[in-house]
Amino acid sequence: MATVGERIASEDPVVRDQLLAEQARSEDRRDMAVRTLRQCAVFVAFMVLLGLLYTAYKAFGTSIDNAQHDWPVVGSILPRADDLNMPPISGILSEFGETTRGTDQSYARTLLGEGLFTLREAAVGFIAGVVLGLSMAIALARWKFLDRGFLPYIIASQTIPLIAIAPIIVIWGRKNFDFFPWEWQDWMSVSIIATYLTFFPVAVNGLRGLKSPEPADLELMDSYAATWSETLWRLRLPAAVPYLFSAFKIAATASIVGAIVGEISAVVRGGLGRRLFSEALNYTTGPERLYASVLGAAVLGIVVFLAVAGTERLVLARQNREVL
Amino acid sequence: MVAPSTSSPTPAVQVQGVSKVFNPGKSNQVEALDNVDLAIDPGEFVTLIGPSGCGKSTLLRLIASLTDTTAGSIQVNGKGAEQARLDQDYGMAFQKAGLFDWRTVAKNIELPLELMGWKSADRKSRALEMLELVQLAGFGDHHPAELSGGMQQRVAIARALSFEPSLLLMDEPFGALDEMTREHVQDELLRIWQDTKTTVVFVTHSVPEAVYLSTRVVVMSPRPGQISSMIDVDLGGRTEFTRDDPNFHTAVTEVRKALRAVGA
Amino acid sequence: MARLIDLASRPTAAPVLVGLGILAVWEGLLRVVSPDGFVLPPPTEIAAAFVENFDAIWTGATITGYVIVSGLIVGALLAVGAALLVNRFRIAHEAITPLAVAISAVPIIALAPIFNNWFGLTSARSKQFIVILLVFFPIFINTVKGLGLADPSKIELMRSYAATKSRITREVRIPTALPLFFTAMKVSSSLAVIGAIVAEYFGGRQDALGPMITQAAGLTRYADAWAAVLAGTLIGTILYVATVLIENAVMPWHSSVRTTDGR
Repeated sequence: MATVGERIASEDPVVRDQLLAEQARSEDRRDMAVRTLRQCAVFVAFMVLLGLLYTAYKAFGTSIDNAQHDWPVVGSILPRADDLNMPPISGILSEFGETTRGTDQSYARTLLGEGLFTLREAAVGFIAGVVLGLSMAIALARWKFLDRGFLPYIIASQTIPLIAIAPIIVIWGRKNFDFFPWEWQDWMSVSIIATYLTFFPVAVNGLRGLKSPEPADLELMDSYAATWSETLWRLRLPAAVPYLFSAFKIAATASIVGAIVGEISAVVRGGLGRRLFSEALNYTTGPERLYASVLGAAVLGIVVFLAVAGTERLVLARQNREVL
Repeated sequence: MVAPSTSSPTPAVQVQGVSKVFNPGKSNQVEALDNVDLAIDPGEFVTLIGPSGCGKSTLLRLIASLTDTTAGSIQVNGKGAEQARLDQDYGMAFQKAGLFDWRTVAKNIELPLELMGWKSADRKSRALEMLELVQLAGFGDHHPAELSGGMQQRVAIARALSFEPSLLLMDEPFGALDEMTREHVQDELLRIWQDTKTTVVFVTHSVPEAVYLSTRVVVMSPRPGQISSMIDVDLGGRTEFTRDDPNFHTAVTEVRKALRAVGA
Repeated sequence: MARLIDLASRPTAAPVLVGLGILAVWEGLLRVVSPDGFVLPPPTEIAAAFVENFDAIWTGATITGYVIVSGLIVGALLAVGAALLVNRFRIAHEAITPLAVAISAVPIIALAPIFNNWFGLTSARSKQFIVILLVFFPIFINTVKGLGLADPSKIELMRSYAATKSRITREVRIPTALPLFFTAMKVSSSLAVIGAIVAEYFGGRQDALGPMITQAAGLTRYADAWAAVLAGTLIGTILYVATVLIENAVMPWHSSVRTTDGR
């Protein structure tokens, strides 16, 4: 059995190629694992750094009796470091264990439930947005008139701060969406916001992806006398996958933000948005809870993002493609 | 220049009076081909060669019916070029290997078969056969990105031949390969050509490649694209010594002279 | 018929036709299907409300607009500065982009109540910080990517001329980064508008655009609410157009390459 060195040095290009291909494959997998670990480490380090900065600033501020807030020029961006405005990290973390007022579960448990509520709103909106956006992308790829005519408006639609009119959407929903076979609930109006925020990146990126194949590849399909839909299914859509994932990452986080804000303006109870708002109102009776719920929202956003990014890595790695 | 009339009943490819003008009537109008005649017999290996702008790639595309003629007609296997395309009478291998990154090597080879409605089991066995043919057995479940350029081109050839077309169209398929790999793949191609008896129309910039591979070299001139001369190549079976053979050098010189005559 | 569609597909004709079509359908449908009390009034009503409330809308637009523009500019400066630093000193270069991307997954708007406490409810600072944070990440990420995209052979050429690192950055990396930077700026202009308006929901000056929208909606004066939304949209559009104009001025070579029609 020839050694690896001998095989690589072998004259036979067939054997040499085989070896290189096998090597490339195992190297890629190892590289990716190392990279992922390193990125996790950097993230954790960053969080720790933030925490240290926060505590250091608090110490600094307390030591000069919060005079920094009254300094000229920079005073307006240097907040007071007293316990009301910047509760100590230990206080924030311990708040998770406290019992939520009016219930017998821990605050962490409450936040979890509310987080899932918001997640559901965002997920429903996201899925609807993906379906809508992808259909649009396909239609725009198919018919040039639609591409030229509608694309500017799709882009312009994102300048309309739909989040801003969430209350209107809720009322809209109550009045008009009874043609759906199920009973319209207020949280579904919040999902519409998530749909709105999702369809745009999916449509725009999806269209780019659908148009991405090289002319040589399109000619190949022509040489097989393939129909437009065969080409869509076998060439354009697979080629669009990396672009779509790019959009999914944006859309997933946007859906969460949309859901949180939507809940506030639409007065939808049971989700994190509402929780944030009420903790903000009751700030003086317990600043730690506001910070804890903000952390909860942050965790939700990151978890959702990681889910999508993780799926992306797995899918693309299986197909041996680069993440965009 | 009139092509010599053939003695066989049906030429594999018959190009008659073909002209091609891009952007007719506009400021960037280009006369890519002007009144070109060419007949190719079944089993021939014909190479089109010429300086940039001579229309060789355009002619290939016209034969493939990937674009339309402005004038003249093209018959492939006795039918119109468009019909031949719809009937999938030819396989093509162009320079950008055009393998789909997201498919495995085997699935790439199966692509045309899928479109033709072959059953899964048939596709799989044919893909294995083709991998054997191009000496890439065992690489079926690799992805193109894991293979070298030479291997990718062999997969492209396997894909082009997977449905056993009678005609193979190739546009500088080996352009991106280094010299050693190139010679290796050229031998592969010749071997396959002899085994399958396909007609091959090949486009290249390289004179030695043209002479090594072909039974006939067609030299084209630019502006507008026309056929300037045709040189039959008779070197018998190629061996590792063919490239050192004086007859080879004579043929190469002849082609180079013809190219210089058209300003290459 | 085919020729007609061809004509209509010309780059300028199509969007105009579609736009007119949308307006016509909107107006017509609403006039026919439902009188008032509908949540989305016909465009003419919105236009009327816009004109009627112009003074209030103008005040709101200046307040919110100030936050939007100042936040966008400061955020862009910080982001570009950070990107240049990261690129120049190779700070955690491989992990920095994923880190920034992960942080941008945090719903930044959730920080609005905290910022209100830190910087004061009615001050512009708290909203500005939200906008700054929102626009920082896309601009930073894109600029880092753009700076890193520079063609290695061009850089080698510069090094053979013994150019300093700063010179290389200026001559090669920055021009390469410009397209991605401007893409991020376009995205950020709408983010800034949304961020400012939504941040105002958590409390702030009541004459800003955000509260104007919610108050009008609460009083079921929908045309007024949409008129304020329109004002926000206009600010976003102006910023977008400004970005495009600057882009064309700064990168004349690129506009000819842009939007080659793919198949």
